[in-house]
Amino acid sequence: MNEVLGILSAMLSIGTPLMIAASGETVLERAGVLNIGLEGVMLCSAFFAFLTDSATHSPWLGLAAGVVSAVLLMAVSSAFVIKFACDQVVTGTAVNLLSLGITGSLFAFAFGKTGKLVAVESVPKNEAFLSLNPLMLLAAAAPLFAWILLTKTRWGLAARGCGESPESVSALGFSVIKTRLQASGFAAVCAGIAGSYLTIAQTNSFAPNMTAGIGFVVLAAVTFGRWSIAGTVFASLLIALGYGAQFWLKAKQTAIPYQLFDALPYLSALIALICAGRSSSAPASLARPFSPK
Amino acid sequence: MNRVFIALLIAASIAGCSSNTPSTQTQPKFKVALLTPSSVNDSGWSALAYDGLMGIKQELGAEVNNVVAATPQERRDAMRSYAQQGYNLVIGHGYEYNQDGIEIGPDFPKTVFVSSSGTKTAPNVGTFRFYLEQGMYLLGMTAAKMSKTGVIGMVGGPEVPSIESTFVGFEAGAKSVRPDIKVLKAYTGSNDDVNKAKQQTLALIDQGADFIIHQTNAAAGGVFEACKERQIFAFGTNSDQTSAAPDTVLASAVIIAKPAFIQLAKEVRAGTYKGEVRLVGMDVGAIGIAWNPALKPRVPKEVLDMVADAESKMKSGALVAPKNEF
Repeated sequence: MNEVLGILSAMLSIGTPLMIAASGETVLERAGVLNIGLEGVMLCSAFFAFLTDSATHSPWLGLAAGVVSAVLLMAVSSAFVIKFACDQVVTGTAVNLLSLGITGSLFAFAFGKTGKLVAVESVPKNEAFLSLNPLMLLAAAAPLFAWILLTKTRWGLAARGCGESPESVSALGFSVIKTRLQASGFAAVCAGIAGSYLTIAQTNSFAPNMTAGIGFVVLAAVTFGRWSIAGTVFASLLIALGYGAQFWLKAKQTAIPYQLFDALPYLSALIALICAGRSSSAPASLARPFSPK
Repeated sequence: MNRVFIALLIAASIAGCSSNTPSTQTQPKFKVALLTPSSVNDSGWSALAYDGLMGIKQELGAEVNNVVAATPQERRDAMRSYAQQGYNLVIGHGYEYNQDGIEIGPDFPKTVFVSSSGTKTAPNVGTFRFYLEQGMYLLGMTAAKMSKTGVIGMVGGPEVPSIESTFVGFEAGAKSVRPDIKVLKAYTGSNDDVNKAKQQTLALIDQGADFIIHQTNAAAGGVFEACKERQIFAFGTNSDQTSAAPDTVLASAVIIAKPAFIQLAKEVRAGTYKGEVRLVGMDVGAIGIAWNPALKPRVPKEVLDMVADAESKMKSGALVAPKNEF
């Protein structure tokens, strides 16, 4: 029983940032923008949340700072990819490198060249049971909000149009640029919360490059989820369960090489993909820049 | 227009990288470079080497420089460019730099390449072998003596021979005082992923472990956070990591690189250094145990006495901590 709770706890802990960030990313991709720089945005918000928390001893101020930094960084990258119609993959890669460099340097600057492991204040946590914390509520709220936004509102229809055929949306009198920027703003807030979660709720510390690929896992979850909110949530949970099982299996001291368990999250995502089948596919204009004539 | 922006961005980043132009060539200065596998602000493995480099700078007035070089390509590029810039000593902090030194060394006979751990040597290529297993052995003894559950755990980042060897030392120390102790081991595969380190530690605690030692470098915060949540003791490694979690880190097995680095630099400057594998341990003060002063009173006196006794035996050579060769 204890061990089941252990796996569940790890699953929730890892699934929370996945689901929050994936909600934002799904909306953004449905609007036709692929945010390869998600990893960098999450790292940036993780760092600034950590920095603010360590200075003010308030995880909530840290969360605010994390979200603001994510929005600012996304505003820069969105200016390139949405406004100036730059290549989204190249720009995203630049954002990742930029964020890795800036956070690493500032961390060295703020905490000394040889670095000190610093622990910061955490959001309130129920340590006795599954390490539950208030940010986990957002893991449920964000997908719900994103789903309503995409499927039940006029804006969502326009956004989805931007992902399928931006020319038609533009011809109907909507601004593709503006809609995509709004989607980007929503994705930024989600990525900011998810990134901040890593430092102020999950680990209460920071290490250079600590996101360690989680941004790319989110991108994978959106793809595996076939660009539907429900699918994405399902894929995120399966990946998170893969992680939880991985830690448990490793702790069990089997003779199987541990690298095999490292593959579990991706394996479970692949299975999710197979189960999802070919019911729906990528937005037709995903990652295609749009320049109004 | 966009292309111009990106080109500018790339140009700026290249300019930023290459700002380390060699100094004036009129008066050759003794120059020492350090290559680390991770950022020197990890407050652990790489940080202690940086500390040693600063020691060389102060003691010998040497011109020093350091860079993170992790991939094989980065390592060789960095070693070659330091050698080309006339650096007298290039220290690669990890066993992986040993092979690179062997390959590059013959091209630059005026530069000495030394790696931290490794077994291969050449006239201008040698290695340090920090005998951290000694410190790990003592911490293993402490954990086994104090454990209530009879289960203790080790969490590693990537599975590399040097880390595996320190775990061998820890396990041997534990079994030396309590043969039936169960020692769990798990690798996360990452030095950066703090949460993986945390979740893996929690999983070991769920299996009953009530003492945890780690080798996760910068991700150590996750290990300590897990131990803090479950209110058990953790051990630090490489550097004194008490400050990271003052209520959780009972003691750290530390490497003090400074004296060994300074000695090496002096020999290289004097031209007396010959490539060799140099084992540096407790006998020369390179390895030690740093207790957390706030928690030390909670360690039973018999355990402290036992550790102090084993430590003096290690210094005299009467007690040998096991280690792997790699």
